[in-house]
Amino acid sequence: MAARRIVALGGHEFKRRPEELAVVHHLLGFTGADSPRVCFIPTAGGDDHSGIADFYLALDGADYRPSHLSLFRRERERVDVRRHLLSQDLIYVAGGSMLNLLAVWRAHGLPRILAEAWERGIVLAGQSAGAMCWFDYGITASLGEPRPYPGLGLLPGSLCVHYARDPSRRSAYHRAVSGGYPPGYALDDGAGVLFEGQSAAEAFAGRRDSRVIRVEANGRGAAREVPLRPEPLAPPPPPPEDAAIAEMRELRLGRGRGAGLALRG
Amino acid sequence: MERGNPLLDDYVLSLTGTPRPSVCFLPSASGDADHYVVRFYKAFADRADASHITLFRREAGARDLRAHLLSQDLIYVGGGSLVSLLGVWRAHGIDVILREAWSRGVVLCGLSAGALCWFDRALTAYYGRPEPVGGLGFLPWSFTAHYDSEPERREEFHRRVAAGMPRGFAADDGAALHFRRRDLLRAVTSKPDACAYSLRVVADEVKEDKLEATYLGDDPCPAHRPPLVSAADRFAPRPQPPAVAA
Repeated sequence: MAARRIVALGGHEFKRRPEELAVVHHLLGFTGADSPRVCFIPTAGGDDHSGIADFYLALDGADYRPSHLSLFRRERERVDVRRHLLSQDLIYVAGGSMLNLLAVWRAHGLPRILAEAWERGIVLAGQSAGAMCWFDYGITASLGEPRPYPGLGLLPGSLCVHYARDPSRRSAYHRAVSGGYPPGYALDDGAGVLFEGQSAAEAFAGRRDSRVIRVEANGRGAAREVPLRPEPLAPPPPPPEDAAIAEMRELRLGRGRGAGLALRG
Repeated sequence: MERGNPLLDDYVLSLTGTPRPSVCFLPSASGDADHYVVRFYKAFADRADASHITLFRREAGARDLRAHLLSQDLIYVGGGSLVSLLGVWRAHGIDVILREAWSRGVVLCGLSAGALCWFDRALTAYYGRPEPVGGLGFLPWSFTAHYDSEPERREEFHRRVAAGMPRGFAADDGAALHFRRRDLLRAVTSKPDACAYSLRVVADEVKEDKLEATYLGDDPCPAHRPPLVSAADRFAPRPQPPAVAA
């Protein structure tokens, strides 16, 4: 059986900032492929256009084959969702509403396909709602105040994201864990954990101060935080001098605002 | 919310029977696409108390969805993916609230996925080929939209009705079906050549009939408003345009 791998990220964007790009290059590295096929699933954000555009633009010039899966808008071509997802090296699930993510996925039959992809060794990754969805439960703000919500359960235990940025999630997580919900991990923005099978195999940090924290009940009605030591990520490789980009820049200078990138979807 | 053509918007507003109705937009089928929400406000904000509900950023919108929806005169459901729409609605309990709103007399309307959702069965084409999907079932019929613009829907609709899908209705782009309770009251159109159809099985054959439809652009009312529903007896069929080949 292929190695089953899931990478949970506490907060990440496809922006051209070194700390965000370092995480992407680390994810691509997990695939072991020369030119990995990467499918972006933006369901949790309602197939938000700007998120999709960021995904295509952030890695301009890197050697990977990107696509995205829209479950709200029809694409021009007929979509065989299962075949497309199972042909990927990496599936990246964007953040948004965890509740809507799971509801829409279930309506389209995605959970079974994603579990199959996982079993086949396709790396599953995601940030925020797209990270919590793999666990028994996550701390979601889909309904306003953060509260525990069940995920797909591919990974045992729980996950809480945006840990430093959003103190209300931390208190909701502590309440849940001390009240009998299974223990798990809390991740700051920029932090990630690689799970091999169902065990945490590696913790990493795209920013110097990103924390990975084990959160469990302390046996006296409260929660205990055990910080791990995430590996700082190497800075991303400098973007290659791409002839096409240089050409476009020229065009843009020559024609003002007329030239731009045409995006699918 | 057809671009540059307010006739169907005028029509649904007129059904509320109030000069400044409250109208709530549900863009769930599009994933709450920002540009769609903006389009809704552009179309409705100047003549209705317009609001919308986002189910992707619940922290930002109305706290009590039920109270908000039940207080509306009109609920307008946008287009997009029917399957995703139903998934999101059920997760938030919107399907139950809408049934209650409907039974209390709130006018429900929508286009494309926002029209398909009310029926027992609907043909949707997200995966490319049209396929039947179970809807909310407020209306015990089957339905398909885009009957003229996506010709493969006709063949599939005929095939499915022949195979036992409930008899139902089809509408071209620009055609609307107006139901009172479960029964079709009338068909109206925003384009002179848009048509609506009924499909049923007669002697083991699917029979497709073009419905008499009122083109709303001919209405002489200065506000371009058609007569209110309560004046249904004033409804008179207009001469039909030639049939449009599918």
